[in-house]
Amino acid sequence: MSETEVVVGGLRLKNPVIAASGTFGFGAEYGEIYDTSQLGAVCTKGLTLHPREGNPPPRLCETACGLLNSIGLQNPGIDAFIREELPRMKDQAITVIANVWANNIDEYVAAAERLSGSPIDAIELNVSCPNVSGKGLLGEDAAETARVVQQARRVCDKPLWIKLPPTGGIAIALAAQEAGADAICAVNTFRAMAIDSNTGRPVFTNVVAGLSGPAIKPIALRIVYELVAELKIPVIGIGGIVNWRDALEFIMAGAYAVQVGTANFVNPLAAVKIVGGLEGYMSEKNINNWEMIRGSAQQ
Amino acid sequence: MPGTIETEGALVSSNVRVGDGVFLLKVEGDYSAVPGQFYMLRAWERDPLLSRPLSVFDIDEEGISFLYAVRSRGTECFSHLARRDVVTLTGPLGNGWERRVGRLALVGGGVGIAPLYYAAKVFGDTDIYLGFADMPYLVDEFARVGRVHVASETGTSGTLGLVTAIFVPSGYDACYACGPRPMLSVLDRICRSTEVALFVSLEERMACGVGACLGCAVKTIHGYARVCRDGPVFHSSEVVWDE
Repeated sequence: MSETEVVVGGLRLKNPVIAASGTFGFGAEYGEIYDTSQLGAVCTKGLTLHPREGNPPPRLCETACGLLNSIGLQNPGIDAFIREELPRMKDQAITVIANVWANNIDEYVAAAERLSGSPIDAIELNVSCPNVSGKGLLGEDAAETARVVQQARRVCDKPLWIKLPPTGGIAIALAAQEAGADAICAVNTFRAMAIDSNTGRPVFTNVVAGLSGPAIKPIALRIVYELVAELKIPVIGIGGIVNWRDALEFIMAGAYAVQVGTANFVNPLAAVKIVGGLEGYMSEKNINNWEMIRGSAQQ
Repeated sequence: MPGTIETEGALVSSNVRVGDGVFLLKVEGDYSAVPGQFYMLRAWERDPLLSRPLSVFDIDEEGISFLYAVRSRGTECFSHLARRDVVTLTGPLGNGWERRVGRLALVGGGVGIAPLYYAAKVFGDTDIYLGFADMPYLVDEFARVGRVHVASETGTSGTLGLVTAIFVPSGYDACYACGPRPMLSVLDRICRSTEVALFVSLEERMACGVGACLGCAVKTIHGYARVCRDGPVFHSSEVVWDE
């Protein structure tokens, strides 16, 4: 067993660095720049049962140390993903986590069932996308969250992860754990907005967009720290990680793995540089097992 | 794109103000691109967060150059760069322009003239139409790579008015254009009615620059396309102009 290897949420990863959903497409673009199988895993762009066109532009707005996005889950749909993207990802020896969003529980279950029969490695139930208009976040409702995990669990034998919003609190994560989730991914982007001071109007058609990047890191770290203290299942830390020291902070807060998102836009090699940085740290400090440092901040 | 690489620690060889708020940045090194392709550039660590897409102005044996207008904090940072300062480049990115056979016209408005210089140099034998809000810049440089026609909205130099007023499409087999969307939209109408193939280079806010984030979506007749990856060059008949 390699020193950087980690077993998390029913999955063995060669290292704890995962590309976050929505920041890495299906791996093809970054795969032209480096060998993405060096990452622990890749979370796909958010998938839906049927293809989605996404939101009208503008879809981006840079903020102080952050990025607002309102992509709106543009994706080819699960069937096209399984047919066209997944074989290429598996050919490249990528560990594939399928991120899934749906309008309602029945759709989540149908999506999980469809993916269960495919060669993906795990499902990440996305109950926290802020960019779909006219709906609250399913992941802010403990009973709904429990129901979606329970019912998806019944039809799906893949590891089942759930990606939570930053606003749900501990009750949601406990409900997901109780319902049979294998891991908690925390956190998705923060609901935020921008106003164009020239026009006096919101920048985004949907008004609300998702905030990511270094601006959210300290808040995400606090949330992960609190979740780890209460949960038995592993937590995967996400939020503004741009370098290996950021990743280490999340592991020291107790995360089993981390997801790198917006940093991929800052530097296309960001995720693989974090892998290298963590390897260098382990060898320098004579650490041969993540358990030696995981959760060190909790004691 | 295949062949896209990240170059850290590239050295600035010069950064010269060529017009009102417009600069020409030259970076040392061995670079390649098709006309119309771009690079993501940054000259800072973390703030601003994102790199800035700049289209290739020229590539020669000494390095690569970029023409940019100071618009936001990123380009403001670029404007302070001096010789021997360090920048990070990722590229070449995007599809770029393909040379068509026949008579070619290049049309640019404002800093949208940036990709035309390298196109004129690589394609050879082109007519170049340059439009400026006020004082023209780099006209002599353009005159070395093609036949230049200038328009300015204040009449400071060349013909008074918009570049779309001095561009006469008849006789051209293809037109390559970059500039403000209203200019491109007018060109689309002109070229459509005269059956000249028009290839426009579009701009949109970008994050990744490589096609992964889907942030720089632009409406086309096939649905949303990514400016950074499916473009920045589109056949004008693919673009939905009346959004």
